[in-house]
Amino acid sequence: MIKFKIVTPYGVTYDDTIEKVTIPTQAGEITVLENHTPLVSILAAGELIIYKEGYSTGIAISGGFFEIRPNSEVYIMADTAEHGTEIDIERAEAAQKRAEELLRQVQSAEDVDYARLQAAIEKELVRISVGRKYKNVGGGQ
Amino acid sequence: MGVNTKAIKTRIKSVKNTKKITKAMEMVAAAKMRRSVEATLNTRMYARLARELMGHLSLMEERESGLLACRPVKKLLVVLVSSNRGLCGSFNSNLFKKTATVLRDTDIGRHRRVNGDADILPEGPIEIDVVGVGRRSASFAKKNGYNLVAAFDALPERLQYEDILPITNLIISSFREKTYDKVVVAFTEYESSIVQTPKLRQLLPISAIDIDKMLAKFDTENKKRIDHPLPEDELVEIENYTFEPSVEDIAEVVLPRLVEVQLYQAILESAASEHSARMVAMKNASDAASDMISGLTLQYNKGRQAAITQEISEIVGGASALE
Repeated sequence: MIKFKIVTPYGVTYDDTIEKVTIPTQAGEITVLENHTPLVSILAAGELIIYKEGYSTGIAISGGFFEIRPNSEVYIMADTAEHGTEIDIERAEAAQKRAEELLRQVQSAEDVDYARLQAAIEKELVRISVGRKYKNVGGGQ
Repeated sequence: MGVNTKAIKTRIKSVKNTKKITKAMEMVAAAKMRRSVEATLNTRMYARLARELMGHLSLMEERESGLLACRPVKKLLVVLVSSNRGLCGSFNSNLFKKTATVLRDTDIGRHRRVNGDADILPEGPIEIDVVGVGRRSASFAKKNGYNLVAAFDALPERLQYEDILPITNLIISSFREKTYDKVVVAFTEYESSIVQTPKLRQLLPISAIDIDKMLAKFDTENKKRIDHPLPEDELVEIENYTFEPSVEDIAEVVLPRLVEVQLYQAILESAASEHSARMVAMKNASDAASDMISGLTLQYNKGRQAAITQEISEIVGGASALE
């Protein structure tokens, strides 16, 4: 079992022992099992999947970094993290449209703004896709 | 009639209205204070893990790069976190007094070293610039003759992490460009709803001591770390760590986050302090209003009594004159 925590500046989003976890990193997805070698790396915006007792939970994260410590401790330090079922898809889509609109306007403006908006779009796209995936899980079944 | 009872009555009424307002403000401040304190505590876990990770990183790379660089201080930047609104007692004036004292001290230009190396002293007199957070900070810069570089006075009541990014981007880029050699934040630390102390902490170059001080406040476990930076066995384990893609790339992501989280905490604590200062100020005002009301009521009753007595004696006097 892995001691697993997701922390964001807003607090601890997830704190549990789990079996395995799939983490989106800048070099692609990695899946972490027990007794993984100690590792520090950078997160990419994407879906983080937690496996526990035959169930999997998707969490949309938007960048940050993580640390795998000896003794199977995994700490995700994400900028934002949301459970798939918590995402309001309509609002995420609206936010993405807004960011794209802004992006068109500032094409010529500073690079910093451009990069920031692109990151925002990326984040919203992830939220939408993760949200869609878990759309029916909460209410249905 | 000796005393004007009507005037007293209107005064009582107006004082009562004021009391209602101050009482309401007291309650609002108490609720906001609780929210800010909660947000401060929520950030703590993130700050601590990031700090531990930085400890692991700094063992792997030389300490003089990027945001860790200790240069002799020629220009200093102060991020002054004040309130946007008044009616909060001596909250701002305490902060300004403390900041002014510390900034006049020449010690501010020195870089403290963790491991007992010689301190880096400034080569000449240092210039000081101010970045203001909150409307009141502008007046401080003006009064003390510091150059106000930027003022952020539109931070929302419910502070989000993204809201402080413009501030950290500004200070980080100006530190990288060597415009400033040291950045400190002046804020009011929240100890309890009664005690708040103005403090200055170093933001850049990133100082492990200052981050540990911030973390140590609410848990005793961390206090130990200030005395013993890293235990021996952890030093051995760190050899096995893999860093992907590289230590430098990770430092690029982690170090700015540490600055951000420190400033975020400072602003949240300031907000908590501001609200609790306002709560106390409003409580005092409500109490003063209560005292005033009881004083005025006594005066009013005395006046009323006197008027009645006078009227009776007049009637009695009139009646006896008829007999």
